[in-house]
Amino acid sequence: MTGVALELRGVGFAYPGVPVIAGLDLAVDRGDFIACVGPSGCGKSTLLALLGGHIAPTRGAIERHGRSRTIYQDGGLFPWLTVRQNIARGLPRDLDTAAAEDKVAEWLAITRLADLAHLYPHQLSGGMRQRVELARALAAETDILLLDEPFGALDYQTRVRMRRELAATLAERPRTVVFVTHDIEEAVQLGDRVIILGPRPTSVRRVIELPPGRVRLPAAPGVPEAEQAIMEELGLT
Amino acid sequence: MHRSVTPSLLARRRAAGILSRWSLPLAIGLVLLAAWWLASAARMFPSGTVPSPADVARAFVIEVRTGRLFEDVIASLYRVAWGFATAVAAAVPLGLVVGRSPAVRSAVLPWINFFRSLSPIAWIPFAIVWFGIGDPPAIFLIFLATFFQIALATAAASSAVPKIYYRVAQELGLDAVEVVFRVTLPAILPQLVTALRVAIGVAWMVVVAAEMIAVQSGLGFLIVDARNGLRMDLVVCGMITIGLIGVALDLAFARLSRLDSVRWGGER
Repeated sequence: MTGVALELRGVGFAYPGVPVIAGLDLAVDRGDFIACVGPSGCGKSTLLALLGGHIAPTRGAIERHGRSRTIYQDGGLFPWLTVRQNIARGLPRDLDTAAAEDKVAEWLAITRLADLAHLYPHQLSGGMRQRVELARALAAETDILLLDEPFGALDYQTRVRMRRELAATLAERPRTVVFVTHDIEEAVQLGDRVIILGPRPTSVRRVIELPPGRVRLPAAPGVPEAEQAIMEELGLT
Repeated sequence: MHRSVTPSLLARRRAAGILSRWSLPLAIGLVLLAAWWLASAARMFPSGTVPSPADVARAFVIEVRTGRLFEDVIASLYRVAWGFATAVAAAVPLGLVVGRSPAVRSAVLPWINFFRSLSPIAWIPFAIVWFGIGDPPAIFLIFLATFFQIALATAAASSAVPKIYYRVAQELGLDAVEVVFRVTLPAILPQLVTALRVAIGVAWMVVVAAEMIAVQSGLGFLIVDARNGLRMDLVVCGMITIGLIGVALDLAFARLSRLDSVRWGGER
């Protein structure tokens, strides 16, 4: 996977009278896993909405090479559809019925959801719902995944498990990922690069490159230093 | 003392739940019937004002045997079906447009509220002038009684659909028509079914009122005709039939709200 998947040139965004993003320049290569951290309310979710094409920048330009899917913290699944139907809804639309059924079965197996295929989202735990979101997004075979604090509503143990599942799935089926999180540990364990955003109106304060490997253990080379640097940038030390 | 939950305990609890769901209303009905029978036997009401349960039962038997009650029920249900169905067919699309478009909402919503506040009974003179007598004026009144209610409920529900569903729909590549049928309508279905449940009750009340004026058949006409002949037993017979059908219609819509594609709204 080579080339640029996402490119932001001087991107700014403002709601009427409320500037949210001051000016962002960023290039994300294909297959990169970018983690974005920043203070609460700095515009991280707005950045993902821009990258997903849901809102247009008020200045600057965004180039997106390929289709994207977003995974939200919660509520992104259609509650009137079962797990199976939600995943099927995410599939490429040109698939015939038999191929679509095979694909759904494959993703149900990968995400260990086969036993829950007939259930509705409200009948699942938070971790299970996020696995369905993940399956739906990955089954779409899009090039870019945008993750908006996908594990933010989960308990610590489930979060750790979900990080491993995400990393394992991406190792088999690489995608370009922009991962927004408020969890510094999560950003450092998963990201190839961590983008630190400043307060609103936000801009990039610093980019931290991390050594190869995912999920990184807390004591792995470069991890404590990266966490320390992020804490300092965010004024948490 | 700790008591473990076993399948048999759960089955007993379920059976007790079913029993209380049916036995309590039935018990209250029997108490009311007994009170009515006692008051009637003690001649507490002036002569000819309140019939006895036995008189009403006799009237029921005669009306059923002659087929008149069945004909009146069918006539009333026919009018309700047409009035309600046309109101749903017109009100849901209007409500969707009003709910999804702020410009249309600000222009149309005050008028929906204006007409919703008007009692359908106020339209009776126009209904008769415009449609004459027979089924059309009654159907028109039912349409008016339910159209604005359903439109308002649909508008309120569709304006509250979480934005996140539309973002997902955009990423899934759904076009505008698919968004309506695959996102907006399923998303509002729980609230819509509740609104329809309320509206069918209103429709049933209005058909009885309409039949007292503009038609020569139906349960409303049965009551007016019986009153004119001072047949209070038949009046009560009509009233009980209306109540029973009202309960049946409500139960049918309550069943609709237990469908899997609707139930998620109440269990989220």
